[in-house]
Amino acid sequence: MSRSRSSTDSAQAEAFRRIRARFPAWISRRLEVLLVPVAMVALTGVWSAVVELGDYPAFLLPAPRQVWERFIAAASDGTLWLHTSITLTEILGGLGLGLVTATLLGYLLAKAPLVERFLSPYIVASQSVPIVALAPLLIVWFGFGLVSKILVCAMTIFFPVLINTIVGLRSVAPDLHDLMRSLGASRWQIFRYLEVPAALPVLLAGLKVGATLSVIGAVVGEFAQSDRGLGFLVNLANRGLFDTPLMFVALFVLMTIALILYGVVSAVEVLLLRWNRAR
Amino acid sequence: MACQDDLAGGQMKKRRALSSLVVVLLCGLLIGCAPRRSTGEGQTVTLAMGFIPNVQFAPFYVAVEKGYFADEGVDVTFDYGWETDLLKLVGSGDLQFAIASGDQVILARSQGLPVVYVMNWYRRFPVAVVSLAETGIRKPADLAGRRVGTPATYGASYIGWRALLDASDLEETDVSLVSIGYTQVAALTEGQVDAAICYAMNEPVQLEVEGVGLDVIQVADVANLVSNGLITNETSVREQPELVQGMTRAALRGLAYTLGHPEEAFEIAAKHVPEVLADSQKEAVSRAILERSIEFWRAGAGQLGRSSLADWELSVQVMQKMGLVGPEADTGSMFTNQFIVEIEE
Repeated sequence: MSRSRSSTDSAQAEAFRRIRARFPAWISRRLEVLLVPVAMVALTGVWSAVVELGDYPAFLLPAPRQVWERFIAAASDGTLWLHTSITLTEILGGLGLGLVTATLLGYLLAKAPLVERFLSPYIVASQSVPIVALAPLLIVWFGFGLVSKILVCAMTIFFPVLINTIVGLRSVAPDLHDLMRSLGASRWQIFRYLEVPAALPVLLAGLKVGATLSVIGAVVGEFAQSDRGLGFLVNLANRGLFDTPLMFVALFVLMTIALILYGVVSAVEVLLLRWNRAR
Repeated sequence: MACQDDLAGGQMKKRRALSSLVVVLLCGLLIGCAPRRSTGEGQTVTLAMGFIPNVQFAPFYVAVEKGYFADEGVDVTFDYGWETDLLKLVGSGDLQFAIASGDQVILARSQGLPVVYVMNWYRRFPVAVVSLAETGIRKPADLAGRRVGTPATYGASYIGWRALLDASDLEETDVSLVSIGYTQVAALTEGQVDAAICYAMNEPVQLEVEGVGLDVIQVADVANLVSNGLITNETSVREQPELVQGMTRAALRGLAYTLGHPEEAFEIAAKHVPEVLADSQKEAVSRAILERSIEFWRAGAGQLGRSSLADWELSVQVMQKMGLVGPEADTGSMFTNQFIVEIEE
């Protein structure tokens, strides 16, 4: 079985090598990246075809052209930037707050098993409460401004970052701790030169998840109460104006934000983990 | 030779698989594009209502329990959801009947949804501005300089608010409007806002039952916009007028019976919303909500279920001024009274 799988893999690799060889060198080196816009064009074509063949009205499924026109209108009159900037503020605030609290608590729980045993059931149980049900309460408790939305966002990313922090810190081999101690390293030195680098791969993986979840958190907060933001724009377009193209515009902007955040974390990961790849 | 035969056989299999896939996809597309038609007499019809099961839908629960829909040869099942989603489903033909507000019908038609309002239910626009008695907000002019909470800056509540401002010669900048979601009760009692926009039979009733002194400014006193009613789509009106007539007549009978027998109507509604009997407090609030709602269904003169052109024209004007609807809006096509029949209470 494994021999036939490896022969299939090499056959595929050989086929891909032959495809690459048909293109100029500068294209073949960047084929994976260039495939992205090609895929986007193809998907847009399929979308257009579905709308045309199904004869769907704009309020049900707008055509790509209609969404594009709506995007241009919303971007040029300032609507889109106004709402995007609010949501971005909530996302970045929520990411910052969630990251700080989750990593601090994660460090504490990783270092103090007794505390972890005490707090874990409550932390896990808290995750079973749908954030969409909590959001209106947070608004009543913390007001109608950005604070409540930032809190909803922070709570959304808290758990994956917390778990990854604990797992990352506990993945450090005990031998390395012993080595550092035998070399006379202080607690700060152990943290700075051993625990942080060792935990970083797992922590950054959790941050990638958190970064995309933060977009959802901000939108959930805005769905509960807001008069600005991309989540509000989705509601306004869908429930207030029957403007489905505008709703699509807001959704695509949210997707773009999530992709950019994921890309930024990936870039940070590449930068910080060069030592890991070099091994 | 054996290798060439294998290659040919493999290619044949691939072609067959591809052809089968294309056939399956085409069949799926044809089925998906097939026009949806309702069945004939004795059919099951879904009547979708905005929000969640509530005693406020008593007339329709009564119509089912008393057999009014069955008399018309229709077996009605209820569904619930967001009003705007229901309108889209009716507009696309995936749903035939729904309960929705007239202002949403105006918006929907302006976006090309072929929905039609066939029966008026609420004769008075239910949106109101409520404040605690000690705040001293007794008339629209008292709102100047105050902080008012709104569930959202769209929808019937916001449209009603703009109509109130307009009719009271107030500018938007005269009042500080804050989006508070559906937290009106907490926002008022915690002093986060001076007044809150709500439905007159919801939050004010809840607070009154708890003994809280209130002042309520009814939008309908200065601008009676169109409100909740029975809607269907143009296709149903054109191709199944008997069904639309039957649904309208049954709904009107349910409404008339509810107006004449509110106590019994509550008992019937409680079968569909058993949570209202969870405790005495909830029951008291729910009874009060139904009583207050009946005031809005019974208000004014004229035939039960008949839409007023003046109310529709006013609503369209308000929404045109807000920029929600264009100047080309055809008010006359948004509603019809052709299915309204005289019903005794």
